[in-house]
Amino acid sequence: MRPEQVQITDVELLKAIARQDETALAELYDRYRLILFGLLVRILNSREEAEDVLQEVFLQVWRRAADFDENRGRPFTWLVTLARSRGIDRLRNLAARERVAIAGSREPAEETSDAVADAVRSEQRGLVTLALEQLPDEQRRPLMLAYFDGLTQSEIAAKLNAPLGTIKTRMRSGLSKLRELLGEQSASFGF
Amino acid sequence: MSHDDFKQMIPVRALSALDADDDRSLTEHLSSCAECRRDLDEWQETAAGLSLSANPMEPSPGVRDQILRRVRETKTDVTTANVLPFAQTKRNVWSSFGSLGAIAAAILFVGLLVYLVLLWKENQAIRTELSSLRAQVQKSQTELEEKNRMVRMLEQPGMKFMELKGMPIAPQAIAKFAYDSSGHAMIMTKGLPAAPVGKQYQLWFIVPGKAPMPGKSFSTDNEGKAVMEEQMPAEAMNSAVIAITLEKQGGVTKPEGAMYLSSRS
Repeated sequence: MRPEQVQITDVELLKAIARQDETALAELYDRYRLILFGLLVRILNSREEAEDVLQEVFLQVWRRAADFDENRGRPFTWLVTLARSRGIDRLRNLAARERVAIAGSREPAEETSDAVADAVRSEQRGLVTLALEQLPDEQRRPLMLAYFDGLTQSEIAAKLNAPLGTIKTRMRSGLSKLRELLGEQSASFGF
Repeated sequence: MSHDDFKQMIPVRALSALDADDDRSLTEHLSSCAECRRDLDEWQETAAGLSLSANPMEPSPGVRDQILRRVRETKTDVTTANVLPFAQTKRNVWSSFGSLGAIAAAILFVGLLVYLVLLWKENQAIRTELSSLRAQVQKSQTELEEKNRMVRMLEQPGMKFMELKGMPIAPQAIAKFAYDSSGHAMIMTKGLPAAPVGKQYQLWFIVPGKAPMPGKSFSTDNEGKAVMEEQMPAEAMNSAVIAITLEKQGGVTKPEGAMYLSSRS
């Protein structure tokens, strides 16, 4: 009979990865692959590109795990920020025509994104989806365009045909409101 | 620019949406302001929450193996680079052992080493098998979730349903397309041939008298299966033909490639 396994925390996993423990990397991959791959597919709208970037992300985790500082944030945030940054870099490297086509085909899905229950972090996802639904569209759209399409404030202003100052205000207000709505529960994102 | 001006920029920096000039100024300020660095860390926590609004998706099982293979290659390279060869010296082996007891101890030691190697190999085999089984379970769970989502959609009142049939280029391919009164749609494909490198399948809405309207691009698994949600254009709600073509990766705005599936009988 096997002894009952003790769940290792994400922080411990990252410390083990920093010591070049590849089983820890495999465990971290198993925990986060669905979230990170879903995020990358949403950004890139391509499984192939997303799988390629996902590999780069975990190779970067392998090389940079020692840089993770638990006093500055949670492993979830570190991983998501790393993955999104890589995804946006790849998106920006794509040809302009391709990018237009991708952005064009993705927008309707953003507008109609529903809170489909799934097996992964459904509670946290539901919380975020609910919070986003409570944001006015004029605040939500700039946030989504920045986060998933990697657009800058000026690009968002041009796309939405709104003054830059207005977009700056809406983005700050939107993210502030999101933080407020997520409130204390945001701590429960801790994966 | 004042400290307060920089503080205003931090939430937008957490979304990496600052324009280049602002971004450079803030980076410079952050190097000397611990308070703003803490602020940025906190805003990044909030921004990271947005990732949860994307649907979780299962990458191909091979991705995990590929990552671990590349990591092992890295380790091998490092190990090879750091290993110093032992100096070989000729010596009388028997003179190294002072007694029969030492010989027996050496034999025991070698035996123990062999035993440990065998145990290690067995452990590796079990780990590999476990990893493979885990990947299979995860794939099955994802498929089940996708089917459940489709079933839930179909159970909603007012759902409409269409079947797409394979064109002569892919007679074995088939797809089911369901959508509700708001145009929220879901498509499930099966039997599509593997797309060549640099290509993806793309959904189209074709309304008589209008240019075909592009939908999302997608890839399939090794059985030609894919599940995707889409928002139908309002003009396509009543009389559109739904079609799938093979296009350049990332999609195109006008169909260029061959049609593989169509709802037109």
